[in-house]
Amino acid sequence: MHALIIDDSRAMRSILRRIVTDLGFDTLEAADGQEALDHLHAGRVPTLCLIDWNMPVMDGYTFITNVRANPAWRDITLMMVTTESEHGQIVRALAAGAHEYVIKPFTPDAIAEKLELLGLVAKAVPV
Amino acid sequence: MSLFLEPSLLDVQMVLEEVWTSFLGVEEPLLPRTPGDITVGWSAAVTVSGEWHGMVSVELPTHVAEDVTRRMLGLVDGLDVAADEDVADAVGELVNMIGGNVKSLMPGPSVLSLPVVAAGRVARPSDVVEVCRLDASWAGSPLVVSVHVQAKAA
Repeated sequence: MHALIIDDSRAMRSILRRIVTDLGFDTLEAADGQEALDHLHAGRVPTLCLIDWNMPVMDGYTFITNVRANPAWRDITLMMVTTESEHGQIVRALAAGAHEYVIKPFTPDAIAEKLELLGLVAKAVPV
Repeated sequence: MSLFLEPSLLDVQMVLEEVWTSFLGVEEPLLPRTPGDITVGWSAAVTVSGEWHGMVSVELPTHVAEDVTRRMLGLVDGLDVAADEDVADAVGELVNMIGGNVKSLMPGPSVLSLPVVAAGRVARPSDVVEVCRLDASWAGSPLVVSVHVQAKAA
């Protein structure tokens, strides 16, 4: 499985890369929505996109609307990972086609739990 | 109509602690510190505009900014050097998270700007006044988070 991490912060991409790599994903990165779309147009279509909202060039919301406008990309799971936490923005992102919404700051467990709910990683079983 | 409210010191402290422990670990807790001048190596600010207007900024000594960067990037202490570009990025993301969470405590809807980062102190508009300042200490070093609003609103 591949995850495309879309965030203008290299530090945040690094944090997310370590988390999803530990969960078994190979990763691609993009610094804005347009760079992420370029990956998709080039045939690098991931299983999962982790998407920041506020980015230069193209924001995460616009990226989601672009992805959802292309039926060839309907199987991509879209998860917002952002500081934007207003109810209206969460609703807007989900209505546009995001599957999940994580508010920064987050813990690795929070990301893992969301991906478990989405069926992308196996549920951890207490021993 | 914009609202002239301000976050409480406790609000800002809770936000800072949540951001700090999420990304920088719990081994070195943030501690309260007597307010005072610090030698600012790096600073960053975000503005919130909409139903609430404000500016949230963070100021750090250089070695703290570099340590924050190393931890966020997963660099190895004593081996990897944090480049200035990386420090600017990490400090910008830090204030983005702090500012975004302060924004969430205030009336909305509002829009969060992209962060502005500076080596030294970020310039502030002349018509703003500080309404909240949190002095903290991390691993024995100081840092400051502050919130400014327009003077006529304070």
